[in-house]
Amino acid sequence: MRTSLLLAALLPLSLSPHILANEWSASWQHEIAYENDDLQKNQSQLQLEWNHSPAENLELTAIARLAWDSESELYSSKSHPDNYSDWNTSLTRGAHGEISLREFYLDAEWFGAYWRIGKQQVVWGQADGLKVLDVVTPQSFQEFILDDFDDSRIPLWMLNVDIPLNDDNTLQLLWIPDTTYHELAEAGTAFEITTPLRTPQPPANTLITSVDLLAVDKPDHWFKDSDVGIRWSSFVNGWDLTANYFYHYRDFAVLYQELDGQQLTVKPEYQRSHLIGFTASNSFGDYTLRTEAGWYSDSYHLSHTLSEGKSRQGVKHSEEFSSVIGVDWQGLTDTFVSVQWFQSYLLDYDSSIARDQHQQTLTLLAERNFANETWTAKIQGQYSIKQQDQLWRFKLTHTLLSNLDIWVAADSFFGDDEGLYGQFSERDRVLVGFEWGF
Amino acid sequence: MNSIQNSNKAQPVISNIFGFIVHHPKTLTLLSLCLMAALLSFLPNLTKDTRGDAFIAPDNPALIYREKVKQQFGLADPLVVALVHDQPNGVYQASVLQLVATLSEQVSLIDNVDPERILSLATENNITGTSDGLDVDPFFEPFPETQNDSDRILQAIQDFPLYQGKLVARNGQATVIVIEMLDENLAQETYHNINDLLASTVTPEGLSLHLAGEGAVAGYLGSYIDSDASRLNPLAGLIITLIIGFAFRRVAPAILANVIIAASVLITLSMMAASSTPFYVITNALPVILIGISVADAIHIFSHYYELQSRQPEADRVQLVQESLEEMWRPITLTTLTTMAGFFGLYFASGMPPFKYMGLFTALGVAIAWLFSMVFLPAAMAWSKPKVSQAFIELQASADKDMFASLMTALGRASLTHAKKVVVIGGILMLVGGYSASQLIVDEDRIKTFHPSEPIYKADRLINQHLDGSNNLDIVIETPNIEDLFKLENLKKMEALQEYALSLPHVNNATSIVDYLKQMNRVLNDGDKNQYRLPNDSNSVAQYFLLYTASSDPTDFEEEIDYDYQIANIRLNINTAAFTDNRPVIEALEEYIAQQFNNTEITATLSGRVTLNHHWIKDIGTSHFNSLAVAIVLVWLVSSLLFGSSLAGVFSVLPVASSILLIYSAMAAMDIRLGIGTSMFASVAIGLGVDFAIHTLDRIRQQFRNLANHQQSVGEQEINAKILEIFPTTGRALLFNFLAIACGFGVLISSKVVPLNNFGTIVALAVTTSFLASVTLLPALIKVFKPKFVFGDLHIVTRPKAAEVRTAAGNRLLSLAPLAAALLIGPMLLSSPMAEAQTDELPSGDWIVNKVNSMDDGHQVTRNLHMTLIDRRGKQRVRNTVGYRKYFGDDKRTVLFYLSPTNVKDTGFLTYDYPAEKTSEDDQWLYLPALRKVRRISASDRGDYFLGTDFTYEDIKKEGKLDINDYRYVTQSEELLHQHNTYRIIATPVNETVSKELGYSKVELWVDQKSWLVVKANYWDVRNNPLKTLIAEDVRQVDGIWTRHKMTMSNHKTGHTSKFVFSDVDYQSSVKGSVFTKRSLSRGR
Repeated sequence: MRTSLLLAALLPLSLSPHILANEWSASWQHEIAYENDDLQKNQSQLQLEWNHSPAENLELTAIARLAWDSESELYSSKSHPDNYSDWNTSLTRGAHGEISLREFYLDAEWFGAYWRIGKQQVVWGQADGLKVLDVVTPQSFQEFILDDFDDSRIPLWMLNVDIPLNDDNTLQLLWIPDTTYHELAEAGTAFEITTPLRTPQPPANTLITSVDLLAVDKPDHWFKDSDVGIRWSSFVNGWDLTANYFYHYRDFAVLYQELDGQQLTVKPEYQRSHLIGFTASNSFGDYTLRTEAGWYSDSYHLSHTLSEGKSRQGVKHSEEFSSVIGVDWQGLTDTFVSVQWFQSYLLDYDSSIARDQHQQTLTLLAERNFANETWTAKIQGQYSIKQQDQLWRFKLTHTLLSNLDIWVAADSFFGDDEGLYGQFSERDRVLVGFEWGF
Repeated sequence: MNSIQNSNKAQPVISNIFGFIVHHPKTLTLLSLCLMAALLSFLPNLTKDTRGDAFIAPDNPALIYREKVKQQFGLADPLVVALVHDQPNGVYQASVLQLVATLSEQVSLIDNVDPERILSLATENNITGTSDGLDVDPFFEPFPETQNDSDRILQAIQDFPLYQGKLVARNGQATVIVIEMLDENLAQETYHNINDLLASTVTPEGLSLHLAGEGAVAGYLGSYIDSDASRLNPLAGLIITLIIGFAFRRVAPAILANVIIAASVLITLSMMAASSTPFYVITNALPVILIGISVADAIHIFSHYYELQSRQPEADRVQLVQESLEEMWRPITLTTLTTMAGFFGLYFASGMPPFKYMGLFTALGVAIAWLFSMVFLPAAMAWSKPKVSQAFIELQASADKDMFASLMTALGRASLTHAKKVVVIGGILMLVGGYSASQLIVDEDRIKTFHPSEPIYKADRLINQHLDGSNNLDIVIETPNIEDLFKLENLKKMEALQEYALSLPHVNNATSIVDYLKQMNRVLNDGDKNQYRLPNDSNSVAQYFLLYTASSDPTDFEEEIDYDYQIANIRLNINTAAFTDNRPVIEALEEYIAQQFNNTEITATLSGRVTLNHHWIKDIGTSHFNSLAVAIVLVWLVSSLLFGSSLAGVFSVLPVASSILLIYSAMAAMDIRLGIGTSMFASVAIGLGVDFAIHTLDRIRQQFRNLANHQQSVGEQEINAKILEIFPTTGRALLFNFLAIACGFGVLISSKVVPLNNFGTIVALAVTTSFLASVTLLPALIKVFKPKFVFGDLHIVTRPKAAEVRTAAGNRLLSLAPLAAALLIGPMLLSSPMAEAQTDELPSGDWIVNKVNSMDDGHQVTRNLHMTLIDRRGKQRVRNTVGYRKYFGDDKRTVLFYLSPTNVKDTGFLTYDYPAEKTSEDDQWLYLPALRKVRRISASDRGDYFLGTDFTYEDIKKEGKLDINDYRYVTQSEELLHQHNTYRIIATPVNETVSKELGYSKVELWVDQKSWLVVKANYWDVRNNPLKTLIAEDVRQVDGIWTRHKMTMSNHKTGHTSKFVFSDVDYQSSVKGSVFTKRSLSRGR
């Protein structure tokens, strides 16, 4: 609501002649997705960006998004889903679209440090598409992981300060009072999560007649429940290194369960964790190595330990160690090939935990440009080693004009219903779209 | 037969090869035809280039300067429509003037006509004085409706001397519409469209319309040549077929010879297409030359085959084919090599692309003809087993009954009888020819390419008769500072130069901004004729321009002066295009300019069509003698090697050398000038003529080698008899060979393309004399001097002692012949520019590169970069970026942010470039806004293209500096390029790895001697094919630092071009170190 007011206040401001003289840019993206002869998505998205520099070393950026979809396959019908904080809301939203202030921040250079204050995205880590350290900004999974990251990340209100220590060392401090977390696909939409790895399952031989999903117990205090992070970045002998620490609420709610006869009550709660990690990357000839690793003090996983009459059941706690090692290869002109190995290991594993102690995923990205980068062909794959389920994505993009891209794409899932990717094996789709910048 | 058997035994490998060929007749015949068909697939890509500029190497400074002048002042080679009336002042009639307006309008609607660049009475403005200054109004305002209006225009033109003789004839009998084209490559179509318009125009009585001008010449020449070629080539083929049919009284040889002709001509043209070599004006001669040459091999093989068959009618014909080839392969291969050597002479010695490629591809065609004669012909003969005609057998049986054999025998007998006289006459003719060669005059006139009966030829003559001349010579005046041309002293210098130019013959008009100023001065002084002069001071000049601009379109003067009043053009109209007429004009102007101009205040440079033509035509003589010398040396060398005797080489060359010298005498006597057509005759005549000598020498030598198998000595009588034996057989074959070639070239005599006509005539004459010299002079020489390479170990029994003494003296004399040849050829070579010693020492490549690298490029820089990326279809993408660069000690850091368009906005590229002595690799990061992530990228792909442009990452990073560790640099020359005095350097990667990394096998760089910036570069890819060209323009100082503001990189493989335009370049403003960080990259600023 507060955001709506702010946006309303901003609009007349943006129409004043002084500000009109500033920098405006916009893009209109339209994308149509077909799934088994049905339209899954027919979405237009207008993004407006405004940059204004009121004084030297000060710059204000506002990015507004107007999205509209003729279908209602993907999006939540709620005007304010539970995962959002009171501060982080759209002007209006529903199953057919939204109007929102995506980002709104002030860049400033004060006291020898670089400040970015306001609603923004912060990306940590070196991995592509896999999250170890990239947990600062939550994400919307309404379109699973198929939407562009830039679009699916949920910007947060925060204070972000970069303090240069010297030429090669920088300290970043984050304070995030915004208690917004991941947005999951609503039940009944195309990418609703059904895998037992993420959804509570009744114990074997137990008949459940009703499931009561209680409202999430969400942290909401701007100070007490805020997240803080610190990152030290360094450049040493050609290595890009960072050491990260983040004290935060994990973005997935922990689904505590309680069994009462044939009634299963699910009570989601958000839990805090410490995250300590590092990244390192460097290039060697045609190869670039990217690595990141993180240790979570607290991670919570669904387990098969549901006893009658006890509360806060069905979840096990563990420490978790995750890492990604990626290698990019640019040995061939106009070609980029990247492979990544991701693993997550639970340090306090218990056989009742639904997931494996050690989870591994391999990814591949191969991209090739043609005709002076006016054509780009891209293939992306993700393969879960244990479940052997996969996601493959193909995209061919053509830059028709300086400011007009058109594309055709296809997304295909393989594997059984229990896997993270396999659960969507009926959701294969082909897409066409364009983006026009002006 | 003995000789054949002997040779079989001596050459088992050859025997095996031909054995294989004749025993696989179908396979090899079909394979040959398939090869031909496959290669023909390139043929449709053959392009035509009929421009006069095609005769100049594309990197010739005069051509490049002319292109620059064209761009600066928008001066193109125009088409000129002339309206000629049969009465004086006949054009000043309302009906004629209205037609000028109508035609000007209609012409502007024709495709490819530049509507902004039509010059006629209907488009031009008159300058008149008014009470408050100047008035600039069209001549046709009001539109001429009555005779009074026409008289008013007559008066206006008479008051405006600038247009007299240029736009309207001084006697008022003619006026012109000058039309420029948007794309001169489409001249042919445009010419025809305008011609059609004129043909359909109804003219007032007494008025005729004509179309000429250099644009029309280029436009018409294409179709003119096409129609000529489509007439000549079938005619040449037909004549040759008839000659062969007549010689052998059979159809099969004619058919097979035509297949060889087709293979040779068509594959050669396909290879030209495949290598993107255009079909030039003179290339029209190539098919005819190849027809003549390729048929010769077939004639000799068939001649020998039928000869064997007539002797052994019952023998296996396949075996006879094999035997014929085993006997004939050697002389045919010899003649092929010597002919190729002759054409390579043209290739190596000529600097003009049409001649060079003519030499190269004719040599290729000769090689193809040889290959088909050696493989396809025996295979096809073994398959079809052609039967000798009864008539041929009868001829063989009674050699003296055949008219041709009798003729040849008589010729041989006469030369042997009067051997010494023949030798002496030959010597005298050569001396006379040598003297005549020094009297040859170089001349060329492009309009004379057309037959005098052609309308374009007549139109050209008419225009030059009535107006001041359709040939333009431009003099570009350049001054160092903006508005220097307001200075009166500079204008006076221009005025004096114009007056001097007008005093020269054939220069009838000189126009520049000076004339406009004079006219303005006059009208501002009440039209007083005495005031037709420059104003009194520089301020007035500036005011006149201001006044004019206020009254009319400011672009009116774009043909005369640049926007900054710094560069001006003086255009001279000359009424002749003949080289001999224009040479004195150009030399006089060059001398005047050297004395009066070219100081620090003002310079003048000649350009324009006339200068450019002069530039290449003046080299025709040198090119001719160089190619002759190289051809003679090559032919001598090849023949010497093949016969294993340097003296044999001299014998081979003598008949052609004497015939060429004879032709010189004929040219001098008949006042035929050395021009485009005639200049290449010598190389062609050598290539063709030497065949006769080789065949003659080889057969005579064979005669005595065979004799040596049976006896150890030979007497005079027997020598005569043995030599005479070759005349009815080889001599007869040579006669038909000669007739085929002479008739083939004779066809060119009917060509309407005048240079080809001259060329055909002279070559036919040269071939005739070569043939005659080969069959007369050579036997005589052999008889007189009895060279060892002919007689081998045979002991020659002589009659009187005195003769013995003379023979010995002769042998001694001949042993000096190679030396004599060297002495003859040496001075020719030494006098050529090729052999001129380089007197000015050029600085070393490394020195220049160090100079380039040591030039100040600022501690830091901020600049905007506008990129335009254009694909081969002309589709453009644009990108705007802002970039910063700063040195941190020896490290260089560069960052580039994309500002627009939206889809790439905020993309950032950061580089840390370390000096070569640091072992660490450079570091690079890319910020991709879609990922919101700074991505480390590999810096090893230096040769990859930078974000869709035609510049590589290395090009971007180096910013024009040159890496001393990557290349070896060798200075080639000092050149004037786009007004820059440059050093041309060739950079070669130090090894293959670096070459692959950078993507270049060679780079040719032009380094400006003033700014020490690379102003042009050509790049070759790793396979040594031309890859890219960089042109740097708008080079000027910013904050005291020389800066390239515009860079165009064109990729020749993809047709893609990237134009980088830098603006707001600032070396002064401080750039914070923090800009060059990943944080800054991700924040987009």
